[in-house]
Amino acid sequence: MTFRRVPPTREEVASLPATAREHDLDLARRAAAGDRGAQRELFHSQRAAVHHALFRILGSNRELEDLIQDAFMEIFRGLHSFRGDSTLGRWCQTIATRIAYLTISRRRPPTVELSLVEDRIADGADTRRLVQIREAARRLYAALDRIDAKQRIAFALAVIDGRPLAEVAQLTESSVVAVKTRVWRARKDLMKRASKDDVLSSYLAELQGGER
Amino acid sequence: MTDQERLGPPPVEPLSDIAWARVERELWARVDDAVPVAPRTRTRSWIAITGSIVAAAAVVAIVLATRSGGDSLDDASPARVVSGAAPSSVSFGDAHVTLDPETAVVMSRDTDAPSALLERGAAWFTIAPRSGAPFVVVAGDTIVRVVGTRFRVARYLERATVEVEHGLVEVQFRGTKVVLGADQSWSSDHPSDAITTKLAQREPDPVVPARASEPPPEDPTPLRPAIVTPDSPPRKPKLAPPATPDPDLDRVTFERLQTLEVRDPGAALAGYLELSKRTGPWTEVALFAAARLAADRREPRAAALLNIYLTRFPRGKNADDARELLAHLKGEHR
Repeated sequence: MTFRRVPPTREEVASLPATAREHDLDLARRAAAGDRGAQRELFHSQRAAVHHALFRILGSNRELEDLIQDAFMEIFRGLHSFRGDSTLGRWCQTIATRIAYLTISRRRPPTVELSLVEDRIADGADTRRLVQIREAARRLYAALDRIDAKQRIAFALAVIDGRPLAEVAQLTESSVVAVKTRVWRARKDLMKRASKDDVLSSYLAELQGGER
Repeated sequence: MTDQERLGPPPVEPLSDIAWARVERELWARVDDAVPVAPRTRTRSWIAITGSIVAAAAVVAIVLATRSGGDSLDDASPARVVSGAAPSSVSFGDAHVTLDPETAVVMSRDTDAPSALLERGAAWFTIAPRSGAPFVVVAGDTIVRVVGTRFRVARYLERATVEVEHGLVEVQFRGTKVVLGADQSWSSDHPSDAITTKLAQREPDPVVPARASEPPPEDPTPLRPAIVTPDSPPRKPKLAPPATPDPDLDRVTFERLQTLEVRDPGAALAGYLELSKRTGPWTEVALFAAARLAADRREPRAAALLNIYLTRFPRGKNADDARELLAHLKGEHR
């Protein structure tokens, strides 16, 4: 199973072929029972999605090795409660989001210099554009470090990652209205902080232009 | 900003394969250590009690399944065997595996591709001569292929070592292939080298590693131990059970590790850690040596090793030094 950037909604899940949902339920049941093979299958099928959600919220791979482990420990602990109301993938991402929230809430992680993160430049990539985007991202996550955790998560998932509000609401276990409010407050706060930073200001404007 | 200049969302930096391997290995270790969690219901206490009983039963089952004595795994599906504080052994198919303490191995009895995945620790593998597919042991990025032999694979984090008692073994590591014969060993620290390690001849001279592809030296018995894998059992002409504590061998091993510190401190540290897993008078000294060397190398795990030492040997010969070194390390971090 590969990571889907936009997992299906609850309604879409209901209309999924019975086999897909049954597969999720069966995998969850076996993994919850301690079947290491099932746990491995679950880990390998969901690790990219869990990593993606955590990275998007936290902005770097720093501490992510530990947080991915924490997320999967929680996933394995909570599998007995998985009822197939959503896909297993989204359910795992919900837990990853919860782990990210706890991490941000407990302490303020220092902003990571993205320049310290290993570059993986694809062949033919526009290096100048890559440098610009990394600098903009560095400033963006530095600003996000200073706003409320729930607002940050809502903004990261809805605006940076471009997920629909309904999906963000599901991942953050809150209502669409609450997510909208958080995104609005986050945007307002960020724009205020970006008033003297042209790079961040224009990057925010661009990201919000692509918001769904 | 025009459309052409649009940057888009920041890219998600991928984790390296090594990082993923680390995540997975540590995750399974945590899963092994975790107490099974019962579903949250109103009868939580009853379920907790039941869970404890089930957990205890599982531990007993694992112990029974992995006790010395060569129990065999009849189920054809992959099996995971975890040893506790003592060495354990298990047979599957025509393979016999002796696990060091605190070792985890996943074994597949697929007749087309028999294999074992060494998750952590070290194990001796005794493989009967095979005519079909080679037996494969995977330890991180290290792949060992054999057709009939007795050999040992040890793994610590990303480092792996292989020792061959008899037979031929092919070791593949990140594009490098080395063939090991009897009494030779290999370390991922020097992936293109095979080192002769006939410990039965305990001569103190350090050994110059020989390339596997080079012709053998003129002297037919030039075998000098190089001490890369310090917990090798004494060589015996026939298949032997796992090494039992041997203070003399441990002393020799420790002394050679001290010599190795200068040339290859990383291998020496790994050797001290291996030695510290054994029982005997040299366990304590080896653990402190590992902590001290880690501190010398400014490795983050130095403090953890010192704490482990002080927990295990609060009145050990090196306890005062360990406390002093630990305080020094804490002072450095302030």
